[in-house]
Amino acid sequence: MTGKQKKQFWNLIQTTLILIAMFIMLVPIIWIFLAAFKTHVDVYQLKLFFTPTLENFATVFDDPYRLGEKLVNSTIVALVSVVIAIPIATLAAYSFSRFSMRGETMMLVIILATQFVPAVVIILPFFVMFRDIGLLDTRLGLILVNLAIVMPFAIWMIKGFIDGIPMDTEEAAMVDGSSRLQVIRNIVLPMAAPGLVTSAIFCFIIAWNEFLFALILTNKNAVTLPIGLALFKGEEGDLWNLLSAAGIIIMAPMFVLALMIRKYFVQGMTMGAVR
Amino acid sequence: MRDNTLKYLLVLPAVVVVFATAIWPLIEAARLSFTVGRLNRPGSLDQYIGWENYTWAFFEEPAFWNSVYVTALYTFLTVGLTTLLALGLAMLLAPGGKLRSAAQTLLILPFAMSPALIGVSFRFMFNPEFGLFDAFFGAVFPPLADVSWLANPNLAFAVVVMADVWGWIPFLTLVLIGGLASVPRDTVEAAQVDGASGWRVFRDVTLPQLGPVLAVVIILKSIFSLKTFDQVFMLTNGGPGTATQTLSHYIYFNGMKYGQIGYSASVAWLMVIPMIFLTYAYAKFVFRKG
Repeated sequence: MTGKQKKQFWNLIQTTLILIAMFIMLVPIIWIFLAAFKTHVDVYQLKLFFTPTLENFATVFDDPYRLGEKLVNSTIVALVSVVIAIPIATLAAYSFSRFSMRGETMMLVIILATQFVPAVVIILPFFVMFRDIGLLDTRLGLILVNLAIVMPFAIWMIKGFIDGIPMDTEEAAMVDGSSRLQVIRNIVLPMAAPGLVTSAIFCFIIAWNEFLFALILTNKNAVTLPIGLALFKGEEGDLWNLLSAAGIIIMAPMFVLALMIRKYFVQGMTMGAVR
Repeated sequence: MRDNTLKYLLVLPAVVVVFATAIWPLIEAARLSFTVGRLNRPGSLDQYIGWENYTWAFFEEPAFWNSVYVTALYTFLTVGLTTLLALGLAMLLAPGGKLRSAAQTLLILPFAMSPALIGVSFRFMFNPEFGLFDAFFGAVFPPLADVSWLANPNLAFAVVVMADVWGWIPFLTLVLIGGLASVPRDTVEAAQVDGASGWRVFRDVTLPQLGPVLAVVIILKSIFSLKTFDQVFMLTNGGPGTATQTLSHYIYFNGMKYGQIGYSASVAWLMVIPMIFLTYAYAKFVFRKG
């Protein structure tokens, strides 16, 4: 083989490997998409071609599953968690980014560390407390606990974005007589806006997909979508066509959101350790 | 207002929230771990019994050691496999171009998928009658044709590991692609001009440069592997028997199903200890950048 042929051959191998890898990564997702449009007869066969139906989507929203209620719960819980977390995190992130404080590193490490504490540790005391004060199976309870995972992410991510904003505009405005709070509102917030939106989307995805807290704290009124998946166990086993339809409702909106922030999600997930 | 006061006021709300939602439960879990702590027995949450829960876990509960073993093996396998496969995929995808950047975009999708749903999807894929992966493995390797994956302890474990690796490869790959981008091109080219083989270039130039990113990825993945709960719950619920019962699942089961809050809090705290070391290691990398 000549050098050129060798290179072409090598390229072909690489392309094939990439296609195989993509196929493996996508096939479980595609399979769910297909199954969601199959009838309950077709879903129990390895069929690639079938007459699609929308019936499953109607069924999951109907009695007794009522996935609509779970959808509302998931949306409210994730949205409110983010709406509480982002402003609080932004103020803290600005301060961590621009000032040096006593014990700053310590505080940042602790905030980072809370992210790594197993959720099952956090939830035990909350379960006991919520049982005593009547917050079990409420959206409020779920929102409060979600802050435990969303807040540290938000602080670290937003800090990363504010670190990237040069300080000179702020300093110039201060010389011109603006107060620090005016600077934050008029200069930092507009410049950090894309970063704030990215962080908000990121936190929304995390809160939306959260499973363990909702599993332990809810059983009827505040059940979220991922917990709702457990509904589709019939007497003859799993109802795969309905599970798949519910799966699409859970994952499709997150796919859209994730594609919007794809450039940033490595930075977000590593809390700034990799940029 | 002076900056000196303001800077503390700005972080105050965040510190309060983090304390209330993450630090307080840790402390309270520690307290509970020294009590009788039965959910159905009023007053037992304030009934202190010293280290009894801990000694119980250590000396009287084979199921505890089983979950330690499951978690350790699970962490070892998932961290190793995910890192290796992601490194390979990152090398393949790093050069860029149409196909490769399209592939990078698609990699976001499994990340956005709820881990619980990943568990469901793998239970689907390995269904003995109409699971796609089940059919595939059966065709490629006939002895596996008639097995019921999730009913066999070892195979169920393998499926849980596969689901985890599948779910985490995309994230690790994207991080490593970022890391590869920062390896200086001229060093690689210089080595190639000097006649170094592809493998030598990788081992002596790329890998050392990638070191810190690789370390970050391995620590982070270890933390997430140790905590694993969602997929396991949906995929096998710890079974068959306790073959796939991770520590998180064991804690959940004892605390919520049997109502032994005190005991499960003690196991939970045992789980926090390795996390402290990993977090310390991770923090070093985060602040190295500063």
